[in-house]
Amino acid sequence: MDKWEYSESIESDSIVSIKSKYGHFIDGKFSTPNSKKYLKTVSPSTEEVLASISVGNKNDVDSAVNSAKEGFKIWSKTAPSERAKYLYKLARLIQERSREFAVLESMDGGKPIKESRDFDLPQVAANFFYFAGWADKLDISWGTKEMKPYGVVGQIIPWNFPLLMLAWKVAPALATGNTVVLKPAETTPLTALLFAELCEEVGLPKGVFNLVTGDGTTGSELVNHEGISKIAFTGSTSVGKYIQNAVGERDIGLTLELGGKAANIVYNDAALDQAVEGVVNGIFFNQGHVCCAGSRLLLQEDIHDEFINKLEKRMQTLRVGNPLDKNTDIGAINSKEQLDKITSLVNEGVNDGGELFQIECELPSEGYWYRPSLFTNVQPSYNIAREEIFGPVLTTLTFRTPEEAVDIANNTEYGLSAGVWTEKGSKILWTADRLDAGVIWANTFNKFDPSSPFGGYKESGFGREGGRHGLLSYLKVRS
Amino acid sequence: MTEIKKTYKNYVDGKYVRSESGKTYTVELKSESYELPLTSKKDLRDAVTSSKKGFDSWNKLSQYNRTQIIYRLSEMLEGNRDSYVELLVDHGLTKSAANKDIDNAINTIVWYAGLADKWEQLTGNLNPVDGEFFNISHQEPLGVVFTLNSDEVSIDKLIRSFLPSLSIGCSVISFSEKNAVLSLKLAEDVNNSDLPSGSLNLLSGDFTKVFDDISRHVEINALASYKKLNKESLKTINENASTSVKRIFHLPSEDGLSSILPFIETKTVWHPKGR
Repeated sequence: MDKWEYSESIESDSIVSIKSKYGHFIDGKFSTPNSKKYLKTVSPSTEEVLASISVGNKNDVDSAVNSAKEGFKIWSKTAPSERAKYLYKLARLIQERSREFAVLESMDGGKPIKESRDFDLPQVAANFFYFAGWADKLDISWGTKEMKPYGVVGQIIPWNFPLLMLAWKVAPALATGNTVVLKPAETTPLTALLFAELCEEVGLPKGVFNLVTGDGTTGSELVNHEGISKIAFTGSTSVGKYIQNAVGERDIGLTLELGGKAANIVYNDAALDQAVEGVVNGIFFNQGHVCCAGSRLLLQEDIHDEFINKLEKRMQTLRVGNPLDKNTDIGAINSKEQLDKITSLVNEGVNDGGELFQIECELPSEGYWYRPSLFTNVQPSYNIAREEIFGPVLTTLTFRTPEEAVDIANNTEYGLSAGVWTEKGSKILWTADRLDAGVIWANTFNKFDPSSPFGGYKESGFGREGGRHGLLSYLKVRS
Repeated sequence: MTEIKKTYKNYVDGKYVRSESGKTYTVELKSESYELPLTSKKDLRDAVTSSKKGFDSWNKLSQYNRTQIIYRLSEMLEGNRDSYVELLVDHGLTKSAANKDIDNAINTIVWYAGLADKWEQLTGNLNPVDGEFFNISHQEPLGVVFTLNSDEVSIDKLIRSFLPSLSIGCSVISFSEKNAVLSLKLAEDVNNSDLPSGSLNLLSGDFTKVFDDISRHVEINALASYKKLNKESLKTINENASTSVKRIFHLPSEDGLSSILPFIETKTVWHPKGR
């Protein structure tokens, strides 16, 4: 099917101003790093260097943790209703500068502007609003007044939803009275740095929010720092395991939100056209850089051919290209490294015997791109059916009975999310009861809300973010 | 007439068993000393196999049914109160302290019995998401839980180390060291309470000899220590646990709603609303 011709509709990048070089945000201000090492953050859609960011070293992390310790002395004595107001003010400022954040997010990370503008930023503001309101209601949140913040929380976030992951981590941590040292991902630090400016603007007490940029070495310094009372991490399962290991003899808090390989189960009594939309959204949202992506399509055998036919047609209408074009559905792959990983796993899938469909489209000459891809004729033992690809690649498996669907869906060390498509209510509940997953989308997929707890079973991690349950990740509760 | 002395054994899969290793350790009380099974790695693996099955059978029961079974445990204790008091006194407690401990233990069991069909109402909820969706956070038990009991001479403490996870549907391997006689004695009442085989396994031994294996075992979903661990053990446990992202809880709450929170998995389900 030929695509309609669209006129370009490019969101202007003149709204953002990016400095050539950034330091860390410590003790309420941007500071000159102790580390002399810098790395360049590039736009994955143009390969243009956007800025240099400091690779924080031990001394930088040390200063940030010390600042957070001092900050905790003030913050823990700040009236909960006052803490709430700071968070409300942050929420408002984010709304006001939402377009600027959205453009910056799309430039630095490669995601389509329609997602950063219509999904990421509204969700970021909503998270600050939601948790602001909890700050002065902790005593009634879980029926006990015996709850205490941890103190200094070290937070490490990934590159797929840079500012949204910041919001998921920072809003509940501050609402519950902790102070924060945050390390954003090395490829997407710019919106976090802009957020730090907002903290200055709202007059957040010094040391309450601290930001240290850098790479894995910086993250490691933070994780191993003795002054940290709790670590909250979102990222790959392998790094999550490294962190749990690194906790070692320290009796500190830990929550992990790790990888996934979600099954998206389509029964033969599903509304197929809706299911196709949901499956497309499930895997191609944010280029498939989503830990809860519906990357394993489980089709009931008798609808396989019809469904794949519809799916391929729908995939062909996806528009891949400039993230700042408002028509774009699929933006740039976040980094060269990630593109190489996706390419290598897909090649492996083809060599294993999987049948590969990729949409026909022109890809820009600069930047990192990957065509939306669909594997059929896949065995459950193939790596593409087991490993998290974290890209726009969907793998199809088939089943005959609901029992078999559940078995296949649970046959993974992951347990973050799952999807179920059927028009039969009792079958949804039966299936949902049996799936080992922290989030289950029935007749929908990839929906998020600050009030809705998110987090995994099994090796997808522990602890919840969002909702009333999200408070527990940042409070020590007794009785 | 010659008085007969009881032999205490581990309680695994609804049966009283010695250690396959044949090894024992001695617990000396004021008037008696007992040879208790020194749980081996193999015993432990057997217990895990049993707990896996026990988790399924315990979870198949309705929460109403589980409430009655746990309540029955309190009835059993009440009926055998004198024998517990005698054993606690032999552990060094005064008679009044021993009676008080049994009172507390019975109250604790009754409290958790009542919680077994209410905990989800207290911990789960609808979430007011923005948009036309039904969104509910349903609560599920974590799975197979290993608990290390403290060394305190107390039936109440012992019960508080396994009922929080057991009452919400986890199967539990409860491990006791110095005061294991109390646990193995309790096994008799556990056995008479209709708890399905494997839902609660009670073991005795030396934790330092088994913790390396336990924290490595991928079929154990969580390890909760109600006894303060030294830094070295904590280090090994965290390192081992990280290979399968096992949940580790050091000195969790033994009281109230917070006591069950570590053992809950929250499953949030979304569905669109429409016509």
